[in-house]
Amino acid sequence: MKKFLALLMAAVMVLSICSAALAEEISVENAKDVWAEKWADVDTSKHVVINYMTTGDAPTTGANAEMLAELNKILTDRVNAELNIVWISWTDYLANYNLRIASMDGSIDLIGSSTDWLDAWPNAKRGGFLELSEDMLAKYAPVTWATVPKEHWDVCTYDGNIFFIPEDNYSQWTNHGFAYRLDWAHEAGLADGVKTWADMTTYLKYVKATYGDKLIALWDTDGTAYPASGYICSFVKWRAIDGLASGALWGGYLDDPYTINCLYLAETDKLVEYAKLAKEWDELGVWPTDVLSNTGADNRMEFRQGKVALEQHHTQTWTGLVSPKSSTDNTMYLEDEDADVGFFYWGEEAGYVTRDLVTHGVAAVSAASANPERTLMVYDLLRNDRDCYDLFNYGLKDRSYAIDENGYRYTPDSYVADKDSISTNWWWGRNDDLEIPSAAMNWDAINALYDEYDKIAVMYPYEAFVFDNSNVQSYINQCNEVYSTYMKYICFGQYSGTAEEIVAEFQAALKAAGVDEVTAELQRQIDATYKK
Amino acid sequence: MTTINPKKAAPYSVQGSLRKKIWNSKTLILMCVPAIIYFIAFSYAPLPGIYVAFVNYNYRKGIFGSPFVGLKNFEFVANSGKLWMLTKNTILFNLAFIVLDNLLAVIVAILLKEIQSKAFRKVSQTMMFLPYFISQVLVGLLVYSLLNSDTGYLNVVRGALGLEPLKLYKTGDPWPLIIILVHLWQKTGYNSVVYFAAIMGIDAAVIEASMIDGANAWQKIRYIILPSLKPTIVILLLFALGGIVKGDFGLFWNLVGRNPILYQKVDIIEMFVYRATISDFNFSTASAVGLYQSLIGFIMVITVNAVVKKIEPDYSLF
Repeated sequence: MKKFLALLMAAVMVLSICSAALAEEISVENAKDVWAEKWADVDTSKHVVINYMTTGDAPTTGANAEMLAELNKILTDRVNAELNIVWISWTDYLANYNLRIASMDGSIDLIGSSTDWLDAWPNAKRGGFLELSEDMLAKYAPVTWATVPKEHWDVCTYDGNIFFIPEDNYSQWTNHGFAYRLDWAHEAGLADGVKTWADMTTYLKYVKATYGDKLIALWDTDGTAYPASGYICSFVKWRAIDGLASGALWGGYLDDPYTINCLYLAETDKLVEYAKLAKEWDELGVWPTDVLSNTGADNRMEFRQGKVALEQHHTQTWTGLVSPKSSTDNTMYLEDEDADVGFFYWGEEAGYVTRDLVTHGVAAVSAASANPERTLMVYDLLRNDRDCYDLFNYGLKDRSYAIDENGYRYTPDSYVADKDSISTNWWWGRNDDLEIPSAAMNWDAINALYDEYDKIAVMYPYEAFVFDNSNVQSYINQCNEVYSTYMKYICFGQYSGTAEEIVAEFQAALKAAGVDEVTAELQRQIDATYKK
Repeated sequence: MTTINPKKAAPYSVQGSLRKKIWNSKTLILMCVPAIIYFIAFSYAPLPGIYVAFVNYNYRKGIFGSPFVGLKNFEFVANSGKLWMLTKNTILFNLAFIVLDNLLAVIVAILLKEIQSKAFRKVSQTMMFLPYFISQVLVGLLVYSLLNSDTGYLNVVRGALGLEPLKLYKTGDPWPLIIILVHLWQKTGYNSVVYFAAIMGIDAAVIEASMIDGANAWQKIRYIILPSLKPTIVILLLFALGGIVKGDFGLFWNLVGRNPILYQKVDIIEMFVYRATISDFNFSTASAVGLYQSLIGFIMVITVNAVVKKIEPDYSLF
């Protein structure tokens, strides 16, 4: 009996060890073994070029070409493929981006996309992206397939098909707000910086009075950023459904997210308040007189140079502004050693922020690609292989970057941006497991804000929702047009009557444009998705 | 136009006469070949593609494989409630452009003709011609630099004279005029070339004869030059009318752009469609709008041509 028990115990132990070995998690650590096993029988005898399409301006530095040559040696060696980058420059990027996908001539394979700022879903629905079957992903992108959790694949699924790979393992915050000069806020008597919209007005008044003559404007905006929803959502906990319209038109309150409404119809009082605030700012001279035609301005560059006092964008952009060494353009720190940049985010006053979508950056394969398998293999390498990752994201070691004793990235003394910098805009496959933090970043300030976010962050409630817009797109288009017209009046105080009148006019125009039809259709589909 | 002697043509069959006709005009036809190829390739061959306006276009299924949706793509312009206003604005602007363009071009051409100094004529012609080559984007920037409230040339001068600044970018009313003026500044030099050529083509003997008969400069223009220009004017007018519902997007977008204070006063079809659909990349809606514009243009040309034919058959296009 004792012998039998001992045998049994031994058997159990052996079995458990075996199963543990079998279930050893696939990660970037053992990626090479995984590829060796999965790709052993893949036919890669034919050399192919994988064209990767991204938005951005093509770099012209020598380092970039050398980096690609180096990378292509590795890719050729591993999967007999090479990478070519197709750039869609920022001028009219969305139209050109969509046009390139629509051309379906096989000239692109790997596509960087996004569900909130590039048209990932419309392109998927119009047949521009290849459906990625589970078998395909497991075979050709095995590490990515294993490391992305099922719930994240689910949000990339429409009609039962996976359409893209989410960049779901990269820490960033793309919630919007105002970056401002923290040192000036302190001078203005705001010891903790700007924490409320009233603080912001105090700050702007102080800066106007003290530095007004030296600045181009407090905010040299081109009149296309509309903080109205940011203002309202600083007081009420409401979240927009992303990717529907150019503005935050439809969504729901966070305590009841599946009852859909239009923010600007639901929150009339707050919108009127904001219209009045904008008028006050307009009269204070926060922006140029002809703000709505001020198209030539580059406010962010001017902020870096200390020529304006406000920049409206997201947290990720602020991290670059608050880190003096992150860019040679940050000359404000050279001219003023006290310079410091704070961030006032939408929701700060109400104490909440929404986490990033995992589909803020996604990678898709063109439906016209001749080599979808090899495209996935290259993607898997770029996302999970140490050598490829470092080359593709940071460039040539000891030229584009070097690593200090603490494991941080820095630019070596010999570094000249015009020659040694690289850029690949790889915003669809970054991976925290392989990221090397940059020594140039102001991590104290950044981590302090990230910690604050982590405490108050809520999940985006509509991630599993993909809207079928075919019945109401014409109304959405009309509402977009009304929205961008009236937001310019309201957000920049460019109206002649009272705030109440312009808001009422805006609401009437939205109704005439069919806002209620869209709300009803959204409600119907939200019910079908969440109230099964 | 080749005319055929009826006596000679009679014995041939219809086919034969056609072959003969073609053979007789072979040089002419050869000269037309590039134009014919151009129109076949870019105008006639793509015609079936109009169908895209009636489908829910899918990249992979192609134009003819995509699901048919009837007039759904037309809905969005129709239910904007602005279609009539937009069409009216577009037509009115184009009418102003057509009338003023031709009027000014004729006047400028006649004035150029009357200038005796060749050097002066060449210089002034070149200077008027130059704006035509400036891109609309630059024109927009030039106008902004001239007129903006804070640093614009106009307001800097006004400031120096102790006058209040004119905030033109904050009021929509002057913009129809500004747009027309900019358009004329850009196009007149170019447009006058055609008329100048036509004037140069007038038989010098006729003008000389009138001078001998004692016609003064004004009578010469009134009774010789203007009547000789009539066919050119009518043909250019007919061509222009075909595009009467097509707005000059480049001009409007660069001058007025995204500023609603201005575009509320000068909105045209293209501007509205651009604003409403820029976030919705959709070939089908765009084609629907294009088809609507072409249809109206087509009707205009046919109607006006018929009217011209009634009054003066020689001047009609067909």
